[in-house]
Amino acid sequence: MIRSTPLAAGKKKRKQGHYLLRLFMAGNGPNSTRALSNLRELCRQHLKGRFTIETIDVVKNFDAAVRENILITPALVLEAPLPRVVILGNLSHLQKVRLALRLAEGAS
Amino acid sequence: MRVKGRAIPKVPTQIAGLDEVLEGGLPRGRTTLASGGPGSGKTVLGLEFLCSGAMSGEPGVFVALEERAEAVRQNALSMGWDLAALEKAGKVAIVEARMFGEEVVSGDFDIHGLLAIVGGHIKRIKARRVVMDALDVLLRIFNDPRRERNELYRLHEWLIDRGLTNVLTAKAHREGDVASQYEFLDFMADCVIRLDHRVIGQVATRRLRVVKYRGSGFGTNEYPYVIGRHGIVLFPLTKAELAHQPLGPKVSTGLAGLDAMLDGGLRSSSCILITGSSGTGKTTLASTFVQAACRRGEKVLYLSFEESKEAMITAMQSAGVDLGPALRSKRLVVQTALPEAMGSDDHLIRALDAIAAFKPSHVTVDAISACIRMGSEQAAFDYLMRLVSILKERGITCILTNQINPMDGSDEELSGIGFSSVVDAVIQLRFVEIGAEINRQMLIVKSRGSAHSNRRQSYVITSRGIEFPDHPQPPLARVFRTGRKGGAN
Repeated sequence: MIRSTPLAAGKKKRKQGHYLLRLFMAGNGPNSTRALSNLRELCRQHLKGRFTIETIDVVKNFDAAVRENILITPALVLEAPLPRVVILGNLSHLQKVRLALRLAEGAS
Repeated sequence: MRVKGRAIPKVPTQIAGLDEVLEGGLPRGRTTLASGGPGSGKTVLGLEFLCSGAMSGEPGVFVALEERAEAVRQNALSMGWDLAALEKAGKVAIVEARMFGEEVVSGDFDIHGLLAIVGGHIKRIKARRVVMDALDVLLRIFNDPRRERNELYRLHEWLIDRGLTNVLTAKAHREGDVASQYEFLDFMADCVIRLDHRVIGQVATRRLRVVKYRGSGFGTNEYPYVIGRHGIVLFPLTKAELAHQPLGPKVSTGLAGLDAMLDGGLRSSSCILITGSSGTGKTTLASTFVQAACRRGEKVLYLSFEESKEAMITAMQSAGVDLGPALRSKRLVVQTALPEAMGSDDHLIRALDAIAAFKPSHVTVDAISACIRMGSEQAAFDYLMRLVSILKERGITCILTNQINPMDGSDEELSGIGFSSVVDAVIQLRFVEIGAEINRQMLIVKSRGSAHSNRRQSYVITSRGIEFPDHPQPPLARVFRTGRKGGAN
């Protein structure tokens, strides 16, 4: 499930183990598209049916960027399950992202 | 065809003295880099630029890359700038853009997020100015010189595209040069200002230098500055010399005999140097003038570096000069300080504060020879040259005393620490041995814009003050008066 209406999530009760991922991007530059495709790929591999990706364009929605103090884009924020994790960059080092999101072997 | 060069548009900083050095201000719609070591005042400079803009119709965004927004507000408040109020009024926005270092990094990234945030605030308050404080902190996250450069040029372009006048600050080594990996900052910026905080002769001093300014002239010297109670204060010498007030009418010295030697008295708004060895009566002569001025209802500021106020008043009483009435009528203010108590810049700002508050007609510095103890001969020179220039600019009479060593009382010493050009009149006091007696003699060495006696005049210091046993003669040379320096009187 991928939505671009930002920050509406969290109101709805979710099942335990459901991943809520917010991806902050700036427009449709190469880093943005690359980050999104990398993230989709990762979720397909590890989180089938139990993830939500919200994309937020900081150029259009600067309030959200202010609220989350997003200075660097792309920035991926794992909102749930806790603890919260922030990953900067276009997510091209997949193994590093897996580890950070606690998706490494055994977690999938 | 050659087109006559047009001055580039500038934005006044309203930082005291800086606009003179920058010949009007910072380049409008361009980038200025302010670099300096810790405690050099980069942030203060940025804040002052932002606040003066906010209060004169140019809102601004402050991007704090290192400090918390609350710390920036407190820092500003200590200088008397209420950022919180300006924020509320929509004239200032503070963006706290600190990296936390806990983030995982995977792959390429850029600073579009920051630009989006800053851009949002710019739109909201219609900002015309942007200050980015501690840019080096932002650049550090890229950890790659090529990337740092690219992102910085992107930032620079982004700011320029929006027509923003911006100040970027960056840390520098102690000598004031930016770290070599950030050298490109210097190339990119249109105006580069170095702030340097160093210690000379155990006294901390601050120096500002403009390294470059595309499309504009600028003062090329190093200028001393202090971070005062209301921001940065610079002491440029360049313009002061051009703005001196003409010498004013003659005023009495308080001694009829000396007035006669000076063809009527001393010119007001001039700089008078009283020079002599210890015990010749320099302070007595200066105090006599002070007493006479206060009796006429004029105000005098007495800067004493030699002794306490009480000691001076008592000593003068025994020499027949009672300054008590002048003090009580508040026409005389005595400001005392040990020269080594602070740096020459701090001494200067203290004197200027007193001058601004008290608005005296005359200022006495007793003694300039003690000023060397402010740190060095250079420090004393800086202090006196700037003080005298500012006094002359405001048409305030300036009486300096200078203690010389009788063993080498050469002509060089007459003008004190080598600034004879700003001294308009020199009165030399000295001891002479006549037979078995030691006597005192007074000589007018120079008196611009006035005839003066060329005779050495004997005088004595009695309990009634300075007295001339032989009645001094008015100058013989009246007919030779050249009229130079507007000498007609």
